[in-house]
Amino acid sequence: MSPPGRARGWGRLGDRWVTVGVLALFGAAWVAVTRSGWVNDLFLPGPGLLWDGFVDLVENGYKSRSLWEHGALSLKRVLLGFATGAAVGTLLGLAMGYNRKIEAFFDPLVEFFRPLPQLAYLVLLIVWFGIGDRAQIVLLFLTALPVSSVAAMDGVKSVSIQRVQAARSLGASGWQVFRHVVFPSALPEIFTGARLAIGVVYATLIAAEIIAGSTGLGWMILDAGRFLRSEYVFVGIVLLGLLGLLLDRLLLGIELRVVHWAGRD
Amino acid sequence: MRMIPAVPALRTARPRRPVAAAVRRGGGAGSAWGLRALSVGCALAAWAALHGLRLVPDFLLPGPGDVFATFVDVLRHGYRETTLWQNAASTLYRCGAGFLLACLTGVPLGLAMGYSRRVGAAFDYLIQFMRPLPPLSYLILLILWLGTGNGSKIALLYLTAFPIVVSAAMAGVRSTRVQKVQAARSLGATERQVFRYVIVPSALPMVLTGARIALAAAFSTVVAAELMAATDGLGWMVFSASRFLRNDVIILGILVLGLLGIALNRLILALDAGLVHWRGVE
Amino acid sequence: MDLTRRSFLRLTAAAAGGTLAVRGRAARAAAPEKINVAFFLETKPTMIAKGEGWFEEMTKARISWSEAGSGAEINTGMAAGSFDFGLAIGSSPTAAGISQNIPYQLIGMVDNIGPAEDMIVRKAANIKSPADFKGKKVATPFGSTSHFRLLGFLRTNRLTEKDVTVLDMKPDAEVAAWQRGDIDAAYVWSPAKAKMLEAGGVRFPTSKALDAAGYVIADLIVVRTAFAQQYPDAVVGFLRAYRKALELWKTKPAEAAAIVAKQAGVAPEVAKSEMEEYDFVPFDAQLSPTWLGTPGTPGKFTEVLKRTADFLVEQKSIRSAPALAAFQKATNTTYLQQAARG
Repeated sequence: MSPPGRARGWGRLGDRWVTVGVLALFGAAWVAVTRSGWVNDLFLPGPGLLWDGFVDLVENGYKSRSLWEHGALSLKRVLLGFATGAAVGTLLGLAMGYNRKIEAFFDPLVEFFRPLPQLAYLVLLIVWFGIGDRAQIVLLFLTALPVSSVAAMDGVKSVSIQRVQAARSLGASGWQVFRHVVFPSALPEIFTGARLAIGVVYATLIAAEIIAGSTGLGWMILDAGRFLRSEYVFVGIVLLGLLGLLLDRLLLGIELRVVHWAGRD
Repeated sequence: MRMIPAVPALRTARPRRPVAAAVRRGGGAGSAWGLRALSVGCALAAWAALHGLRLVPDFLLPGPGDVFATFVDVLRHGYRETTLWQNAASTLYRCGAGFLLACLTGVPLGLAMGYSRRVGAAFDYLIQFMRPLPPLSYLILLILWLGTGNGSKIALLYLTAFPIVVSAAMAGVRSTRVQKVQAARSLGATERQVFRYVIVPSALPMVLTGARIALAAAFSTVVAAELMAATDGLGWMVFSASRFLRNDVIILGILVLGLLGIALNRLILALDAGLVHWRGVE
Repeated sequence: MDLTRRSFLRLTAAAAGGTLAVRGRAARAAAPEKINVAFFLETKPTMIAKGEGWFEEMTKARISWSEAGSGAEINTGMAAGSFDFGLAIGSSPTAAGISQNIPYQLIGMVDNIGPAEDMIVRKAANIKSPADFKGKKVATPFGSTSHFRLLGFLRTNRLTEKDVTVLDMKPDAEVAAWQRGDIDAAYVWSPAKAKMLEAGGVRFPTSKALDAAGYVIADLIVVRTAFAQQYPDAVVGFLRAYRKALELWKTKPAEAAAIVAKQAGVAPEVAKSEMEEYDFVPFDAQLSPTWLGTPGTPGKFTEVLKRTADFLVEQKSIRSAPALAAFQKATNTTYLQQAARG
């Protein structure tokens, strides 16, 4: 939907110029500030230093592991935690949407865990599950679960009653109603929940690696920060941002493909 | 560029259509509360059982009784020279300050970005890039720039909440039904009136949804922020307790944080219900 | 220049609702109003001076105490201008800080660590010689003096990180991992070290050999250069307070241990035995050529710092290490001299 304000000016082409212009402005400011030496290298590395840092990371890795290894390890944790948490959460949410009793029973659990800051119970999880990926993946599982279940539940609850009645009147069984009416109807919400979940999982993973990791992109940033290697920290942050964007767009792509009926009634 | 809102706008408490009664089973509201209480009771019982039956070693899981005793103790004597109130207040202050600042600056910007294609084009990429950045990753830079006091933490929370609120406001404006705008215009409304009486109310539901998500994100992040160079706060209490292996204090901290989180969520839901009485009505 | 940028950022942050104390650029005052000190909660005489209020007394100022989790945190805080003093920061982070031009000076030593940080191995892991570490998991807090020693141990025994899995864990996490059986060894300090010894651990002595090989580690006192230039009397007072605590430990160890125990939250016997492992170098010894030397004649410890920095460069922890002269310049014993006299 286009912006409701009155359209003025050069149209789409003009927009591109504005975007480029603003980005270029920030870039120029960055170069100027770092060149002038007004700010210590430590606080804001210049583009040259950043580039060198990036090349160094790509060529030599970080602390005896290549950059790809760190990235892959982080990605693995995210995907495992997200997949398991979202799967279980969606199933739970569907059940909660269908049955009020189930909803009432699990509601306190979900309501408690959803806003709970994950790092608070990471500490406990580490004590229970030890070092290594186990504690982190359990944490991510618990992070994704409430988000997905609430989304799935909302999806079921908002199914149009006319559709259900129509299907019933045509002789559909309970299972058929679910498979052909309720589930497809809830899918947009489920995907919305999935995108939200992966976002939270991603942020939580990095925090988990920072607090209790020995590998991964998050840990790399922490370790580099320990010795104030700001150039590695910056490169790490940019990589994290790109990876996060990639994950989100991936899910979006899947959603658009699968849920091609979204918005239509 | 596809105009799908970049922020997944999760539905709020009131679904757009009435509950599919023909599909849902399971009794009325009364039994619901009973079941909720049962659920909490079961959780507590399971906890007590795990501890009492020594299924889990003592040093790993203190029992409900131990945690309660710790709660009373901390209320009376504080934890390492900080009181529970002080810690809760500090955490809430940092969270609230960052969140409110983000809303005060983010909502206007988001509305502007949604309304004017030019403004949107200028800032959209920047905002979209900020969103997937895990907050804790740049905390160390903020500490370097702003010191170890509250400033760096509030800045972190601001940067966490800001892109969410902006995206939500922008999506809210963009989802305004064009017919309404056109109708208002045809009735002779000025641009300012169109903005104030059509667009803003139309965007408000999504703005509040964004605010809810942003507050949850900020709350989560404040605890993470209290990991590095903090001297009080609930997150600090949990981490400090972990260093001394005081699992009872850790669990106490978790429970308090959980309850606070629920309360904050309810607060915004109440605000939502109060302000946006037209939600779902088209 | 630094101050201007900081003031600008602070103003912005204050406007953003932060509760930062905007430290005004006061004219040369005799005593500061408030001093920000980063410290470690540990069993050392520093806790005596803190607990008894001697630091406040002798600097004639209010002190805001920030508990640090690591030397790296102190470095970050110093770089950001949040701390004025760093109390008992390790030599490894100090070497890194000086190499990276963090604006602080080394003004004194808390201790020469020696055997107080060491390798603890699980009895069941059957580790009798360095070669037995192959294939084992050793935990240590990365960036610390223990980490430095561990890497030195691997180097001197021709082991690589492919042979031995080195894990980055904070001391409390190490204790939990130890209890779970997840790690075979740890290089760390007390109280974690003591807990592991109690729980099926045995010391694998490395400190003597590593000290001889040049991997000396120490805990130091640093002060922000700008602060020291503005308030030299406060710096001397700060050191005097520590000296008083040191003397109490030397003359009345039981009483000293009791005070430390209360601060650190451990039993007095535990505090006493932990403190006995450290070599708390007295002030006159610190001023000798062996350690920090006198103003104008820097002692051998500056070489230790340089060697530490070079090692960190090899490990790619820091980008580069300056020449020895930089470490000597960063060591300022004028305040120490005055504090030793008075």
